[in-house]
Amino acid sequence: MKAFEYFEPKTVAEATKHLSDYGETARILAGGVDLIPRMRKEEFKADCVVNIQRIPGLDRIDYNGSIGLQFGAMATLHALETSRQVRKGYPAFYQAVRQIASVQAKYMGTAVGNLCVGTPASDVATALYALGAVLSISGPEGDRTEAIDQFCTDYRCTSLRRGEVVAGVSVPPMKAGEGCAFANLVRSRADIAKLTVAVSITAEKDVCRDVRIAIGSAAPTVFRASKAEDALMGRALKAQTIDEAAEIASGETRPITDLRSTAEYRKEMTRVLVRRALEKALAAAKG
Amino acid sequence: MKKEIVGFSINGQLRDVIITPNMTLAEFLREQLDLTGAKKGCEVGECGSCTVLVDGKPVLSCSTLAIAVRDKAILTIEGLAQGGQLHPLQQAFIDHGAIQCGFCTPGTILTAKATLDENPKPTREDVKEALGGNLCRCTGYVKIIDAVMAAAETMRQGGVK
Repeated sequence: MKAFEYFEPKTVAEATKHLSDYGETARILAGGVDLIPRMRKEEFKADCVVNIQRIPGLDRIDYNGSIGLQFGAMATLHALETSRQVRKGYPAFYQAVRQIASVQAKYMGTAVGNLCVGTPASDVATALYALGAVLSISGPEGDRTEAIDQFCTDYRCTSLRRGEVVAGVSVPPMKAGEGCAFANLVRSRADIAKLTVAVSITAEKDVCRDVRIAIGSAAPTVFRASKAEDALMGRALKAQTIDEAAEIASGETRPITDLRSTAEYRKEMTRVLVRRALEKALAAAKG
Repeated sequence: MKKEIVGFSINGQLRDVIITPNMTLAEFLREQLDLTGAKKGCEVGECGSCTVLVDGKPVLSCSTLAIAVRDKAILTIEGLAQGGQLHPLQQAFIDHGAIQCGFCTPGTILTAKATLDENPKPTREDVKEALGGNLCRCTGYVKIIDAVMAAAETMRQGGVK
């Protein structure tokens, strides 16, 4: 690995300062699962590594009924998986983390790090899109928040500006009548998914009052199938309505063909997974 | 880039070592300390053969900077046997034929140790889940799972078989 300057800031403000000084060639080290192998392969220039592991409080995971779930940039996937609040409160997020095969990656890796990689093949990001997560971002110009679907801008690109760091994520509490579900297709448990779907739906007497349909590995970023969501809003949630929405969602994908699947297969399976996830979320919503 | 002399706790011994920030824990253990139990397999965090325990938790040493864990307790396979007595997991791997080429074995045993320390009475399914990040191309896993289950039993009965 090429040489770099190395910092271990004790505060987010200090991290921000180092990141500002070095700009695009500065890299944030959280879990290191993605960063270190890519640095060794010299996939990008890294003149400076800012290790945020020792900033107190960044590993927090808190829940309260009015704000929902909040976790910091150093909350590991393992800590989130073993959090009772995550398991009970956000089944789609819990399942997205739980089904990751590598125990080591879960002990080291963080959910925020996973989001910042900006890959469309993130199960964690797909679940957090469906749950309406909001990111807290700190930077030289102060703090800001951003909805997760605004954060991922293109393949491996995020909206982070020079000097900025994602300090944490908040996930709103599940509403009465809301259910969520996660589904993906994988070649083997150890591989990344060929397609991922997560949904959240709020139903009142079988009428859809709110819905989020998130799809991973079928476009340059994880995305919300907004036309499919529009097709469900305010409608009675009959089997035919759900089938139609799933068909629309399939049409919203822009998949590629790669070693894991053909584009055509991903498109077809989007229809199947969206339908199944909606049915499962609806069953959960009914309790 | 600075070189630093750092006191590292490895296998229960404090050692003063010289490290530079761009050294992975795997490189540091293998090339500076001649602790070659942790393997450089895929070197992208997929195979688990580089696994060591950091403060008791299984960590991919190929994807960890040595400097980032300088004040933590590092356990490698070389430090697992105590006073010439193999750890129950090591003995069980031998007894059950869970080692063939042996390349994945150090990482697999250390991941299994972390698992049994957290859950002394796992089901076979628990063991399969726990070893999801350790690839073995020889055994087909059945003997590894047999060995971990047997070691768990030995450890529950007081450690040494």
